[in-house]
Amino acid sequence: MNVPTPSVLSGTGLVKAFGPAVALDGVDLDVGRAEAVAIMGPSGSGKSTLLHCLAGIMRPDRGEVRLLGDRIDDLGERRRSALRRTRFGFVFQFGQLLPELPADENVALPLMLGGTGRQEAVRAARAWFGPLGLAGLEGRRPGELSGGQAQRVAIARALVTRPAVVFADEPTGALDQATGHDTMRLLVEATRDNGASLVVVTHDPGVARWCDRTVEVRDGRLLVPSPGAA
Amino acid sequence: MRTTLGLSWRLLRGGGRRGLLGSLLTLAAVAVSTGLLLFAVGANHAFAARSAADAWRHPAKAHGTPTAIEALTTDGVRGKPVTVVELAALSGDAPVPPGMKRFPKAGEVWTSPALRDLMRTLPADQLSQRFPTRTPTGTLGRAAVAHPGELVAVVGHAASDPSMTAARSDAMAVDNVASPTRIDRYGTGSQSSYAFVYQMLAAIASVLMVVPLLVFGGAAARLTVARRDQRLAALRLVGATPGQVVGITTAEAVLTAAAGAVLGTVLFAAALPALTQITIGGGTWYASDLWPGVWTPLVLLAVPVLVGLSAVVGLRRVVVSPLGVARRATPPALRAVRPLAFLAIVIAFGLVAGSLTSFGRAGLVILLVFLALAFIGINLVGPWIVALIGRVAAGTARGPARLLAGRRLMDDPRSAWRTVAGIALTGFVAGFLALLNPSAAMFHHGSANRLEILVPSASAEHVASAARDRLRGLPAKVTVEQREDAAGEGRVTTVRAAVDGAPADVDRARTALTGLVPGHTATTPADADQASTGLLGDLRTGALTVLGVSFLIAITSAGITGASAVLDRRQTYAMLRLAGTPLEVLDRARRQETLIPLAVMGGGSLLTGLFFGMPFAVDFGYSGALTLAGFLVVGFGGIIGAGALSRPLLRAVTTDPTPRPD
Repeated sequence: MNVPTPSVLSGTGLVKAFGPAVALDGVDLDVGRAEAVAIMGPSGSGKSTLLHCLAGIMRPDRGEVRLLGDRIDDLGERRRSALRRTRFGFVFQFGQLLPELPADENVALPLMLGGTGRQEAVRAARAWFGPLGLAGLEGRRPGELSGGQAQRVAIARALVTRPAVVFADEPTGALDQATGHDTMRLLVEATRDNGASLVVVTHDPGVARWCDRTVEVRDGRLLVPSPGAA
Repeated sequence: MRTTLGLSWRLLRGGGRRGLLGSLLTLAAVAVSTGLLLFAVGANHAFAARSAADAWRHPAKAHGTPTAIEALTTDGVRGKPVTVVELAALSGDAPVPPGMKRFPKAGEVWTSPALRDLMRTLPADQLSQRFPTRTPTGTLGRAAVAHPGELVAVVGHAASDPSMTAARSDAMAVDNVASPTRIDRYGTGSQSSYAFVYQMLAAIASVLMVVPLLVFGGAAARLTVARRDQRLAALRLVGATPGQVVGITTAEAVLTAAAGAVLGTVLFAAALPALTQITIGGGTWYASDLWPGVWTPLVLLAVPVLVGLSAVVGLRRVVVSPLGVARRATPPALRAVRPLAFLAIVIAFGLVAGSLTSFGRAGLVILLVFLALAFIGINLVGPWIVALIGRVAAGTARGPARLLAGRRLMDDPRSAWRTVAGIALTGFVAGFLALLNPSAAMFHHGSANRLEILVPSASAEHVASAARDRLRGLPAKVTVEQREDAAGEGRVTTVRAAVDGAPADVDRARTALTGLVPGHTATTPADADQASTGLLGDLRTGALTVLGVSFLIAITSAGITGASAVLDRRQTYAMLRLAGTPLEVLDRARRQETLIPLAVMGGGSLLTGLFFGMPFAVDFGYSGALTLAGFLVVGFGGIIGAGALSRPLLRAVTTDPTPRPD
């Protein structure tokens, strides 16, 4: 399982400071194709900042981020925005589904933003509902779904554009343990089945166990350098 | 109670920068509402004060023993009317006129400040020689003068003076003259038909302004509640009783509204000097008339109470179920009774409209009730139509922006309606006023150079030769004419002096002819048209003022609700941006959310307004078309501008990359 694969996403020498507080202090991280990496660490260790820098949400102060060999950290906001829309998928703890849209349109939205026609986008979105155990919930609105169901809709939305990398920030944080583990299993399996890599930020060792590899962040540095053993 | 107040105060203070911004938006909304509400109340107050200042000049026959004789004539100088009240005491206890320290003695002249100044500046042979003394005995106080520029003279006579027995009438006007009447007190009711017309128009204008204001104020109140929804649901979840939740939010809303009401009053007071310069009814205003007086504390009290009530209503959902707001579910469809109610109002109006003008004062009350009902009807049908538009937009959407806008409209049609309600209601006002916009051609402008005095036909030639004597040296030609009288009830004889010269020559001629025939003043056709041409200008001024106020409300309301919508949905926007949604798509969705319902509802309200204005249609014409075009330009431009103002806010809330569960 730990056979080194060609790197899809890599961060090198990443430094990011917020005023006097240094969140990242020279981090290197490579993510292989279809690899699932868990980033762990206590609150304030810099793990979310690392995810934001890798995902092109934030620009690092120093260092570089490459996707399939191309630098992405020096792109303008518009191009990074387009990149996030087309090459990345996101799953968060809460607030990611639009309350006004039914579940299927929530999933179809990234495709529509990419220019796919509505009917085709909704058809493509609905294809994800069966495999993720959501059959019959297409027309429900987020307020009418359970926490676990809402997270599975979010997973479908993250994968519908066939992204290269899925980023998840505490994806099970709002769920009970059993539901959380089910959701995590689905996230890892669905991502891998689609050939996408996965970067998960969590402080739950039970969640990290589902991933191929775990890296730990303390005070803006990686404790276990990448690549290494889980 | 103290715990509730203390907690509200802490929540209000501890709301952070965004909470503070939200509170400031509510504060601004309430301040604008209060200021404009005071203006609407003040305008009615001012017209009532003018009417009261005018009422005493119109004598009413004594019920008991008469103590004085009062007569009224209207003269003119430089094209402006001069009101002359003539008084003679019959006994020692003759009533002291308003604005004077005592009853005028024979031969005394008391004038309004404006007339006093004019008598000083104009040569004596043009004005002051018309009175028994060239320098006024005293100056009339506030209570006797309708507006700062009004020209009024009170002339004292002996009871035996011929002018206190001769019946009054002049060749042109029938309204502003009154024959000598034996009185025991001064009239209190308005005798001038124009005063009634003005008060009626002020009442209509107030309804046109106040209803949108109340809607706007209610929106502002619910805005506070909407932002608190989530937090209050959380409070409820941790076990706060419904009473405590209602108490906390209401206290918060009332505190903010009270501050807003005080600020609004200050704003109104600051704007007062400018507002007094709006010329209506031939003059500007006394600040003390435009200030609503005893109504001010009532408005100051009522605004926070109304906002509090509105907050309680808005809270019902949260209080009934702690999960009601925390979990967003499919909202129930709006009931079909809304469009039915609206249709019923329109049809009912259509049925009574034709006969409204024949009902007099009752007709006015019916019209005011219908105007208020029309507003309520539009406000009822608005959200229903918005939801319908949302369903159509979402159903036919191909791109994400239209889909987002449509779903959002379906999801919360009431809040989408609140953004455009102001402009839609202004559309009604514009439609209503477009038809009340008479063109200048409708009023004929009579000659200002042709003086006429009514005379008994037997003495016509004698009076004419006396007039020729008096006008010697002036470029005037005196003739005797026969014509229809002003009321159209028979033929009268007049002595006509056609003055071929400047206004100064006309005033010289007027002065020379004063007292030629006791009780009869020389007047020009222009004097008679003055009231109606004045009314024409005033209709325009009034319509523009009402439209200006409506637009101010509408655009402020659109700006505030737009900004608060961004704040309410900051988490959603931040998430969408984070997942790579371009800012333009979000902005386009936001714009469509406003512009689609605006186009439909603005147009619908405009048509409803036109329908309601139809029975009183004076003329449509050029200025009516201009009103409508102006509405479209200012309305849409204002809304787009107000929406653009919250774009930086949208950018600001979406640059924060981390979603927070606030």
